[in-house]
Amino acid sequence: MAKIPLIHTREKKIYTIFTVVVIILFAIATVLTKFNPLQVIVSSGEIWNFITTDFLPPTLTKPVNIFNAILTTVCLAISSTFIAGIMAIITAMFGSESISPWPKYAKIIRAVATFLRNIPPLVWAFILFSSLGIGTGVGFIALVISTFAFMTRAFIESIDEISQESTESLLVVGATFPQRIFQAVIPSCIQDFISWFLYCIELNIRASTVVGMVGGGGIGLVLFSYLKTFRYQTAAGIILIIAATIILVDLLTGYLRTRIMQND
Amino acid sequence: MTEIALRAQNIIPSVHVCKKGKIKTKENHQDLDLYIFLMAMVLVSVLSFLPLNINWFKLVSRMPDIGIMFGKLSQLSLHNFDYTLIAFVETVAITILATIYSIFFGIIFGALVSKNFIKNRLVTTLLSSFFTFLRAVPTPVWVLLALVCLGLGPIAGIVGLSVHATAFFARAFSQSFEDVPPEVIEALEVTGANKLQIFFSAILPAAMSMIIAWIGMRFEINFQESAILGMVGAGGIGFAITTSLQGYHYGVAGLAILLVFVYAYCIELLFTTIKKKFIQ
Amino acid sequence: MEKVIIKASHLSKVYSNGVKALDDVSFEIREGEFVVVIGPSGSGKSTLLRSINKLIDLTSGTISIDDEEIQNKKGKGLRLLRRKIAMIFQHYNLVYRLSVIQNVLHGRLGYMSNIKGILGKYSEEDKLNAVELLKEIELSDYIYNRAASLSGGQKQRVGIARAIMQSPKIILCDEPIASLDPSSSKIIMDIIYDMTKRRNITSITNLHQIDVALKYASRIIGLSKGKIVFDGPPGALDNLTIEKIYNTPIKNLIINGEMHNG
Repeated sequence: MAKIPLIHTREKKIYTIFTVVVIILFAIATVLTKFNPLQVIVSSGEIWNFITTDFLPPTLTKPVNIFNAILTTVCLAISSTFIAGIMAIITAMFGSESISPWPKYAKIIRAVATFLRNIPPLVWAFILFSSLGIGTGVGFIALVISTFAFMTRAFIESIDEISQESTESLLVVGATFPQRIFQAVIPSCIQDFISWFLYCIELNIRASTVVGMVGGGGIGLVLFSYLKTFRYQTAAGIILIIAATIILVDLLTGYLRTRIMQND
Repeated sequence: MTEIALRAQNIIPSVHVCKKGKIKTKENHQDLDLYIFLMAMVLVSVLSFLPLNINWFKLVSRMPDIGIMFGKLSQLSLHNFDYTLIAFVETVAITILATIYSIFFGIIFGALVSKNFIKNRLVTTLLSSFFTFLRAVPTPVWVLLALVCLGLGPIAGIVGLSVHATAFFARAFSQSFEDVPPEVIEALEVTGANKLQIFFSAILPAAMSMIIAWIGMRFEINFQESAILGMVGAGGIGFAITTSLQGYHYGVAGLAILLVFVYAYCIELLFTTIKKKFIQ
Repeated sequence: MEKVIIKASHLSKVYSNGVKALDDVSFEIREGEFVVVIGPSGSGKSTLLRSINKLIDLTSGTISIDDEEIQNKKGKGLRLLRRKIAMIFQHYNLVYRLSVIQNVLHGRLGYMSNIKGILGKYSEEDKLNAVELLKEIELSDYIYNRAASLSGGQKQRVGIARAIMQSPKIILCDEPIASLDPSSSKIIMDIIYDMTKRRNITSITNLHQIDVALKYASRIIGLSKGKIVFDGPPGALDNLTIEKIYNTPIKNLIINGEMHNG
């Protein structure tokens, strides 16, 4: 006697195909990377020992240095977001087809921003380190470029979504481009802009840590050096500090963002 | 108060007048909060430049070098392309494995953190905080740790990536699980089903579409991250990019970066089409 | 006989996807007329209206406004032209974060220098005019409210006040009551009618409600698939013509109110 199916046959087919594909991919990937999870589990006893003896308890030697480092990281994040934001607002004004005085170029700007946005900050960091050498300043530039690309795209989307209609009405009144910007676009979009700005600070604290790790300075570099010199206890302490900072910044920006959006 | 302002007030009594006697076009408090906030933000941003020990002049003077760099990168070269391709495939493999493992563990931990599944608040809060900690630390840090513990190679990459991704999924999935209406769960509880049965029959299917959305979103991020972790030594295309940059083979590096971008773009397209098909 | 203020000759507009929105449209509009354009969706009403203030550029044909050809106008010349032509939109197109009076004063931006406009430094006379206008349209209590807090009918009144602030010669109304309930619709149409009559402003309105058109218009233009199929006084609009415009028998149309039987 045939079994009564519980799911519609077509759906069942999709699920089966999907599962088979996943299993195949999994098998191929495992072979390719020679990743044996059992190996991890077996050595997990070793790893656990390693962690408990060498990493714990987390200590902080030279807390002043560490404080400076984390300050650098945070300041890098904020300052780069700030510069990127200013550049992005200006670019977005010209990159949004709905308000740009030169709509033909707007398409190009938008496409370029989308392309650049997909390149992670770390890749920028490497490109720049290769051409300018490592250092905090270069890390700063890497953050600015990647944030700028992201923000330009975000701002353009905000502008298109929010201010298109009101800008049209100022257009027919005979207002000039700067007048349209200040009397329509900015009042309508300012909340969104601030929200994106805060969000990018959140992203950049993490990015700044990572870029720091490969030479950009700040707490990332400090962590890297402690790990390389086997001072694992301090490294553990630093990781905790990093986590704490990020969580704090997340909470702060999250709170500010809700306040801003409900303010009006 | 000017004469005009007086006439205006005769017409509409509630017209306000500013200190110089001119007619006001808006109430003062209307935007005050916003301006204060804006000023504070600008102040903080400007202040954040101070602790930075950066030689700005030197930086600006070396900007043209970036342009030169781009020129070199865009001279894409197929030299050693087989090496690049293998590295690329390795990155994809790392992403797939890490994603699969983290989905698996993510569902388990997500369930353990869901307040409507585990009634014990202490357990959920503790676990939740633990995963927040895991999530707060950027993936490359975890990868670095994994490198230290497990040695060089893709294994470290997979483990490091999985740690962060699992924590992410645990939070994301638990949100979706908690969104399941309580009546659905109650209905099964009263039939005498045990926790596992309730989970697989009710909670999981109800949250399925959201879970798939999360996975799609995370897969793209995972790929970008695995591309990066090569740069800290865990294999894959990131490693290929760094070695070629360090070896001044800019054309090769440029091609590798382009490959990363093209792949990320395709994945994005793929998932948008899948999403469209699923929302039928 | 009043002077011809808008002269349109052989207007055609073909969009890049091949759609022919306007097909050899010609007409003359005199000062003070209250013209209503009717027709089904896609008949070209919006295109026609927006070509008058050059929001849309035509593929061929010429338009003269106040004896000036407008085809080649751009930059400053275009702005000078546009401040003579006001527009009211279906979705009001206000800046919702600003106050009602700030939105009304936007009508003067075409007359102000760049800096003053950017900073919102309107002259005291302008502000007085805005106050008087607000009193006229009965929004005195809302003068400092954010535009977002108003109802649809009130928002459209602000839009009208902004248009009047321009001291325009022509006012274009793109489906001004499409988003409003019947009572607000009447208020808005009455205001538009009153304001334009008293200030001798020529108006062109797009409507899809035939009964409203018949009630207010001094002249009706019927568009169908980009061509003018009727151009005359409301009295001359008979059922047959309506069927021609909408390309469907009368019984398939909802038309309330007075109907002329032809």
